[in-house]
Amino acid sequence: MKLAAIKNYFANWREWEMNPIVIKELRQGVRSWTVTGMLLLFLVVLFIASLAFLITSSFDVNANMGLGGSMFKVFLAILAGASVFFIPLYTAVRVAAERQENNPDLLYVTTLSPFRIIFGKFLCSAYITLLFFSACMPFMAFTNLLRGVDLPTVFFILAFLFLIVCASNMIAIFFACLPASRPFKILFAIGGFIMSFWVVLPVVISFQFMESGIGAMMGRRDFWIGTITTTGLVLMVTGLFFVLSVALISPPSANRALPVRTYLTGVWLLTGLLAFGWVAQTGDAERMTAWVYPTFIVMMFALLVTISNHDLLSQRVRRKIPQSQLKRFFAFFFFNGAAGGLIWVAAILVITFGIDGVMNKHFPRASYPSTFAVEGHGWYVTTGLYAFDYALLALFLQRKYFRHRPAKLAGLLAVLLAGGWALAPGIFLFFANRLSWKSIDGFQPGNIFNVFSLSEGSDQMKHQVTAMIWLVVMLFINAKWFRQQVKNFQPPPAVENVPPVLQ
Amino acid sequence: MKVQVRNLRKEFGRTVAVDNISFSFDSGHVFGFVGPNGAGKTTTMRIISTIEEPTSGDVLLNGISVCEEPELARRVVGYVPDTLPAHADITVHEYLDFYARAYGLKGKKRTQAVEAIEEFTNVAGIRDKHLKALSKGMKQRVTLGRALVYDPDVLILDEPAAGLDPRARVELRELLMLLAERKKAILISSHILTELTEICNGVVIIERGKILETGTIDEVLKKSAPRRTVAVKLLASHLHQNADLLKELLQTPHVENARDVANEIHFELSGDEDAACEILGALVAKKYKVIEFRQTKANLEDIFMNVTKGGVQ
Repeated sequence: MKLAAIKNYFANWREWEMNPIVIKELRQGVRSWTVTGMLLLFLVVLFIASLAFLITSSFDVNANMGLGGSMFKVFLAILAGASVFFIPLYTAVRVAAERQENNPDLLYVTTLSPFRIIFGKFLCSAYITLLFFSACMPFMAFTNLLRGVDLPTVFFILAFLFLIVCASNMIAIFFACLPASRPFKILFAIGGFIMSFWVVLPVVISFQFMESGIGAMMGRRDFWIGTITTTGLVLMVTGLFFVLSVALISPPSANRALPVRTYLTGVWLLTGLLAFGWVAQTGDAERMTAWVYPTFIVMMFALLVTISNHDLLSQRVRRKIPQSQLKRFFAFFFFNGAAGGLIWVAAILVITFGIDGVMNKHFPRASYPSTFAVEGHGWYVTTGLYAFDYALLALFLQRKYFRHRPAKLAGLLAVLLAGGWALAPGIFLFFANRLSWKSIDGFQPGNIFNVFSLSEGSDQMKHQVTAMIWLVVMLFINAKWFRQQVKNFQPPPAVENVPPVLQ
Repeated sequence: MKVQVRNLRKEFGRTVAVDNISFSFDSGHVFGFVGPNGAGKTTTMRIISTIEEPTSGDVLLNGISVCEEPELARRVVGYVPDTLPAHADITVHEYLDFYARAYGLKGKKRTQAVEAIEEFTNVAGIRDKHLKALSKGMKQRVTLGRALVYDPDVLILDEPAAGLDPRARVELRELLMLLAERKKAILISSHILTELTEICNGVVIIERGKILETGTIDEVLKKSAPRRTVAVKLLASHLHQNADLLKELLQTPHVENARDVANEIHFELSGDEDAACEILGALVAKKYKVIEFRQTKANLEDIFMNVTKGGVQ
């Protein structure tokens, strides 16, 4: 059936049309003074920079064989600045404007799926990026004629920068989709502007590539491993923000958790396999941290989002719960709902820590292991336990005492409780004039940040025992709620099906 | 196309916005949805348009459930929200073309659909104007055009006449009548009740999320205002007879609440039209110089004021 649909899709290739969002956005883009004005400014800056270079070099008596390279560096910095600062900002403003409550028509009332809407926005931002890159192309081609930079380097650096700009665009779309008020969105924009200074990093890396010349490095295996890894990482981040954005604009009744949890599980498995291969190849178990730490950080965010899930499943979600018990068991982890999400986060963390422990046993450590490698295992196990303690406590408080408040209060409560308990003793000691280094690096039960500043190694164990006992208590007081959630995870009772009359 | 709203309930935290309401309407019908601000009209309309999901209950559009099959339901329902489009840097034609694409219309079919809807909503002359430069009335037409461009069978209009000038209102009313003739099932909310009386076949009066009255306009009028009010005017030279007439009427069976209103005698008649005829005959026989004898029907506005208390949740 599916094969026939795919066949039919390709047979009707003449009827293929571009994503409507892309067409609309591009039409708006070319009409907008913002895009055309920025493009003109960009061209003027490039033109002035070229003139400045040519005029200053005309006073040089000796032939400058590296003039093309120097000019390319400046053009690259201008292009990077314009694309990483302007295009994500423009994209985010456009999405945010359409997400305003007083303008609900676009994103909700059409038959366009949230996936197509976000993909359209992303594709449009990529087109605008291409527009800026192509405007810069003649200037860059000109630098190649002046010597000092080879063509493979030019193409490689541009492809690298394009990837970075696309990732920035996707992150900007995600922030614009967040259900926040205008002041918060302005704060996000300012934060994004500051964060976009990270463009300096790819520019510096590009300069280094230019020094050594990509053409000469292409024969080396390390170069391709590095390139593929970086590309993979950027694509993964882009993909993550893509699925998050799709979830954000999906209707509340949709199964928002499913694509996000499936994507994260897939990426976790893939990166885990790659990390395992890396450790097996090098024989150094410390390489596992490249997988363990990002997993840990992502799962901490996932934990906060998970406890903010509603307990009541919408009819649409319940309709998709499988009848088969085995399938329902797996669906429980991936469908909307805090209970299943908690198990999912816990399972991923336990498996990750377990595999890391096994790898550390079977592969010798590096001769000079880093502090992370030596103490890291204890840190993230303790922090992970505390995170679950606070999450379950917040969950209990929200479900018991603030049942009529939105479920997202649980996530906020968890952060406030953890932050409050970490800061309160310090503030108290400060006002009691008893704040000292000893009071900071001594054992403070329940203080999640204290785990990283212990002077005595044995205190780490005290933290782990405290966190474990707390966790048992939290599991006990949430057990009734959890049982109820498992019981409620059932498909709706069968109703008489009314056949639709639509053709 | 039959639209059936079944036991619809929507809660926002502790607030019950829509409380177990049920009603239905059919193709070719214009159904008025009336209630004070905060009564739950917009929430109900958003549920029918698949934008919100109900806490319980369902809406069936010719058997298609908006909860079970929202994607299918969206193809048959056109929603005109109470806010106007605010897209920058886009012309009317591009806006309509975008929505035609978004609903899956392709190639020539799309071009024809957009052109037809531009003609129908009378925006062909301004198709190349920017959306932001349009007046409120014109924007309202474009929004209606957007909802109609894929030819849905059900139209949900939330306050479409709000803020329109009298001419634009008349034009909108004509458009709606044309749409009803084209067998669309239309649900319209408005605070301009006199207009609804003219164009609606049926009405739902809602307050605090609950239905107070529902049925055809005549049914509701009959149910809520069973008595007819009659006004009698005597010849200008015989106005001195008004006092006698008033006394006379107060002694007549089926007549209640007779009073002098600006030199006219108004009274409420509990009988039917025959009873009214008999009274007119009796007055003429008693040599009263009657120059005007008319029945004043209660309208939707009177009923609305009678049945609602103006409460919100």
